[in-house]
Amino acid sequence: MSQEQRAKDPQAPDAERWVDEHGDYLYRYALFRLRDTAQAEDVVQETLLAALQAYANYMGRGSERTWLVGILKHKIMDHFRRASREAQAPAVEGEEFAHEEFFRPAGEWAEHWQTEYAPADWQASPAALVEQGEFWMIFQDCLGPLPERIASAFLLREVDGLTSEEICEVLSIKVNNLWVMLHRARLHLRHCLELNWFKRPGKV
Amino acid sequence: MALCSKATHALRYFLLRHLPTCQQMVAVMSESMERPLSLRERTMLRLHLWVCAWCAWYLEQLHLLRDTLRLRAEQMNEDDSAASRQLSNEACERIKRALANRP
Repeated sequence: MSQEQRAKDPQAPDAERWVDEHGDYLYRYALFRLRDTAQAEDVVQETLLAALQAYANYMGRGSERTWLVGILKHKIMDHFRRASREAQAPAVEGEEFAHEEFFRPAGEWAEHWQTEYAPADWQASPAALVEQGEFWMIFQDCLGPLPERIASAFLLREVDGLTSEEICEVLSIKVNNLWVMLHRARLHLRHCLELNWFKRPGKV
Repeated sequence: MALCSKATHALRYFLLRHLPTCQQMVAVMSESMERPLSLRERTMLRLHLWVCAWCAWYLEQLHLLRDTLRLRAEQMNEDDSAASRQLSNEACERIKRALANRP
C-alpha cells in the first residue's frame, strides 16, 4: 500500500500522532528499564512499527496508550532475551559484588558487619523518596557498575514484579543463580545509596 | 529491673554468638523477598533481627527499595518535563520516517 492510499484510508491509524502524543511516555518507560538512550529509542520505534501492523486487531478499543505500553512491554522482554542470548556470560556474574569486605574476616565477631559498612537507619519513606530527582540520578549511578544482567534482573524483579520463573526464562538463567545475583544487587545498591544519598555530606 | 536488663543483655549476646552470622543472614533476607522461608529460616531470622539492629535496618531497606521502585513505576504516568527524559527531536523525526516508510 502506497503512502497516498494509506492517507485516504479512514481505517488507517495516524502513527505520526502516536509519536507526538505517546512518544515521550513510551521512551521514559523504556529508558527506566533499559538505561540506555539509543536502546530505548530503538525499542519505541519497534513498538510503533509493530502497533501499525497490529492495528487491525485493536481498532480503537480501549485506551491507545495502554495498548501501546502492552506492546512495548513485549518488545522490552524481547530485547532482554536477545541480549542475554548474545552475552555468553558465565552462569553467575558479579563476584566483585559479593562484598566480602562488608563483614569481619575473623575473630569473635567473624562474619558480622564491619562497623563502617553496617547499615544505618534511613528514616525514609517511598512517597518522599520518589519525589527526589537527585535520588534517582544517584540510583542510576549506583546501578551503573553492576553487570548488565544483574541490573536487568534486579529491575525486572523490583520494578515490574516479575516472578523468579519469568525472569529466569527471559535471562536464560537458573533460579539459584538468579537469587545470588539479586542478593549481590541488593548488597551493592543498599551500600551505594546509603553512602551517596542517605549519609551524603551536607544532608540536612 | 537492673537484673532483668542484665539478663536480657546476656541473652542477646548469647544469641548473637550462636545464631547464623550477619553475612549468612543478609543472603537469607534477600531470599525472603523471593520465596517463602522455611520454619527454621524464619525462626533464625526473627531471633537474629531481635538482637541485631543493623540487619533489621537492612531488611527494612530492601523493602523500602522495592516499594519506592514500584511507586516510581506507577508515577511514570505523570508528565515529566525534564528534557533528558523526552525523545529528542532527531529521534522523533527518525521514528516518524520509519513509520511512513514501512514496507
